[in-house]
Amino acid sequence: MASLIPNLEPNPDTSPEFQRKKRRKTEKRPGSFDRNQGNQRIKRWQTEREQQIYSTKLIEALRRSRRNSSSAAGKEVRGTADRVLAISAKGTTRWSRAILTSGLSAGAKMRKHKKANINANRRLRKPKINKEKRKLPVFKRKLMVLGRLVPGCRKLSFSNLLEETSDYIAALEMQVRAMTAITEYLAGSSGGELQPPADRLGSNVNS
Amino acid sequence: MSSRRSSSRQSGVSRITDDQITDLVSKLQQLIPELRGRRSDKVSASKVLQETCNYIRSLHREVDDLSDRVSQLLASMDTDSDQAAIIRSLLMQ
Repeated sequence: MASLIPNLEPNPDTSPEFQRKKRRKTEKRPGSFDRNQGNQRIKRWQTEREQQIYSTKLIEALRRSRRNSSSAAGKEVRGTADRVLAISAKGTTRWSRAILTSGLSAGAKMRKHKKANINANRRLRKPKINKEKRKLPVFKRKLMVLGRLVPGCRKLSFSNLLEETSDYIAALEMQVRAMTAITEYLAGSSGGELQPPADRLGSNVNS
Repeated sequence: MSSRRSSSRQSGVSRITDDQITDLVSKLQQLIPELRGRRSDKVSASKVLQETCNYIRSLHREVDDLSDRVSQLLASMDTDSDQAAIIRSLLMQ
């Protein structure tokens, strides 16, 4: 790894407002997932450049949030990490949009109400008697579990859900890699006086 | 979900073909490190889904652990630098 954190200047082009405007344009075609585009997106998550960009943005966001509030619970860090990850997706995927809009209290409350209604209908409906060979209840149940794990994908079609899942998994892997590197960087520099990042990075890379 | 159920009951028009399903499932299989090496006809689609869910859950857990560590490190960094600043200001007087 040549440079872990190249520059720590904030990037105004990728502010949340800009991303929201961009998102409105792409939302006109929510279902159409070009397979080629999807593969390119997944490969992007695996590049080192993307990881560096993410690390930079995450550290900036963490510094901003710590300046505003003194408490830095793990949950806050996780929320910040997820939001920055969703921003890095540039609004092209459903899970990233769901993460960014889940902060609104109205959205979170609506989700709880919807959950209650669905459970009531399930009990009243007659149990499905004939078992199709293609979509067994077991399979469908696992599909629903998967839909619940990926944010914002509870009611997607099968192919769309799998597309979102592939992208989400690639993004999560990058998030883990970046945060591991950040942890090592912080652990190295909190041992004593804070040294300039370049020196500290050099020693980390060589070890 | 309900639209899919109704289309499969008719058994004439189905939006998704079996080939598409196996194609997508094999593609997903390549992403899961546990199932990557195995042959796609030896792993059932149900198992691929199960392993996908487990993998995503383990990734979530890892991110949670890393977030906790990062928050601890940031907290300790702040206190250390505060103490260092206090010590420095005392020494300089």
